[in-house]
Amino acid sequence: MTAVEAVAVLTGWGEGIQALPEDAARAAAGRAIIPLGRPALEGERFRRATRECLLGVAAVDALLREHHLSREVVKGSSTALMYVTGSAYGASNYAWVAADATIPAGQGDRRLGAVAGTLHFPYTAPSVMSGEVAIEFGLTGPYGILIGGAAATIDALWQATLLLEAGRCERALVLAVETFEDCAELYARGRWLVGRPLVEAAVCALLVPGGLRTRYDAPRAASPLETRARTRAGQTLACEPLIALALGRADDPTGAIGVTGEWRGRRAGLYWH
Amino acid sequence: MKAGVTRLRAEPVSLVAAGAVTPFGADVDAFWSGLVTGSDGISTIERFAVDDLRVGRGGEIKKLRALPGARRVRCRASLLLLAAAEDLLARSALTAEPERIAVVLGTALGGVEQLERAMAPGGRARHALDALYDSPAHALARRLGARGPVMTVGAACAAGATAIGTGADLLRADVVDVVIAGGYDALCRFVMRGFDALRSLTRERVRPFDKRRSGLLLGEAAGLVMLARERDTHGPRLGRLLGHASASDGSHVAAPDAYGRGLELAIRSALDEAGLTPADVEFVSAHGTGTLVNDRIEADVLRRVLAGRVSEVPVNSIKGSVGHTMGAAAVLEAVMCLMAGREGVVPHTVGLEEPDPVCELDHVIGSPRTAQPRISLSTSLGFGGCNAALVLEAVDR
Repeated sequence: MTAVEAVAVLTGWGEGIQALPEDAARAAAGRAIIPLGRPALEGERFRRATRECLLGVAAVDALLREHHLSREVVKGSSTALMYVTGSAYGASNYAWVAADATIPAGQGDRRLGAVAGTLHFPYTAPSVMSGEVAIEFGLTGPYGILIGGAAATIDALWQATLLLEAGRCERALVLAVETFEDCAELYARGRWLVGRPLVEAAVCALLVPGGLRTRYDAPRAASPLETRARTRAGQTLACEPLIALALGRADDPTGAIGVTGEWRGRRAGLYWH
Repeated sequence: MKAGVTRLRAEPVSLVAAGAVTPFGADVDAFWSGLVTGSDGISTIERFAVDDLRVGRGGEIKKLRALPGARRVRCRASLLLLAAAEDLLARSALTAEPERIAVVLGTALGGVEQLERAMAPGGRARHALDALYDSPAHALARRLGARGPVMTVGAACAAGATAIGTGADLLRADVVDVVIAGGYDALCRFVMRGFDALRSLTRERVRPFDKRRSGLLLGEAAGLVMLARERDTHGPRLGRLLGHASASDGSHVAAPDAYGRGLELAIRSALDEAGLTPADVEFVSAHGTGTLVNDRIEADVLRRVLAGRVSEVPVNSIKGSVGHTMGAAAVLEAVMCLMAGREGVVPHTVGLEEPDPVCELDHVIGSPRTAQPRISLSTSLGFGGCNAALVLEAVDR
């Protein structure tokens, strides 16, 4: 038995679900990407970190701040971290490949620019994004890192409920981050791949033991919350089910809630009832 | 996990069969035979340019069999997976309903080589789609006709272990009836240049736990296992997964925790899930990359966990044989554990000649050891502070 305790939403539209327009497509006014800026986080450690890492940290920070939770609450091995992204590793991967392509032949790796050097390569790994979050908040419990769009986030939420129900953690953070702007050229070439507008987002949900059972399945149709999240936020890939959770909780903070998500032709659903 | 919390033993899950493609060849038999004969799967990389790198060697698969119906598959990572699936399906048929078959794969790189193609002159959007880290898993699901969950675990070099564990969770929760779980990664310039820049690659040979160890070499491979619930398994099987767990270090993005705390927690949690204690472990397949830091920390952790039995429990690493195969590594190591238990022989650690005193363990050195480990522990670490452990049980032939 679990419950969704809190959700924090950062999107290209602003902070919180109150910043979401009623109709993202109309609000985008033809813009393909609605970007989310690089968070201004203090600390020398963040100097090298990529924007997507900082967005993950900022989303967890927003969750703690908005819900008056101290960092001590989540620190340690009793908190699980589930991280999902469909696209956020693209920026660092793109930069790494681009740097290689511009290196004059025969210069070995002395041609290093900021993104071609030793320190950049680990950031091409999706696990480093959640790793930075784990370092920042002292999370040393179980983790999961799933790659994919909205259906993968449903999978991550389900895994979080399993960990809670098995007693492997006392709380679980489910974090999704999506960025697009750094690979805008690729998205422009592959317009048929994903809908518009592409809206950068970082969203974090906190799950805890609670009074609701969960059901994980493969529905054929989108839930009303899925449709609403897409309409209001735009295309946020893995962040979409968490935005849907935030919208649903705004209607009824403690009641039954169901979210669905689709990616590459597969739709998954998770229902607290 | 909170101190004092005791969980119920998780339901064991059967590993019905395995399939693999490795630098040793196109099936599990070639893999196993390469390990027990101490073969060297490392060679000069020929498939892409490495002449400007400090190190241009690795566990490259030289010949990949053409698969019927796969002519349009361009991504090498996907081709490795399809080849491993061919081997797997030759050993055990996939009989469940398509909606009740899941695919769960671990990877460090996904189809990233296709990004290099997408960004090259004349690159196409289609290449960019193939470059997504979850594209190879979907390619495999299409090939198998699987219509259940398709998941990609991106936990770097620990991803294969977590994928097997996640597959087991899907079965225990009765979400599906069969899971094709595993891991893969293809060698490409992207990753070779990255590890070269990190100065992690050795110019010599890979020597896990050795005094002269000086770094790792990468390899490419795909390993798959067919998982089913124990109660649904009636025919022959390779073994059982008894427990799995993961834990974050929360200390560094590219180096393990100095005290191995995350790895230790993952090991103890996996044993706890299996309903076992360290006293039950009969063999350890170590991550054993051959880097100075990893091997010392891992040995420290294993000495703490095994305690008084440290001189009785054989430990090996296969990374001197095939290189560090990243997303595939933990899967190949799990298969090796079960084969060792079945065949009564533990492969030795190729490259290990003079153990470093700081890595003191009961290493399998020089030649395979006659032993029939029933309960094995397999450990994995990855970028981002990822640690994972599997507890496996071999079954008789």
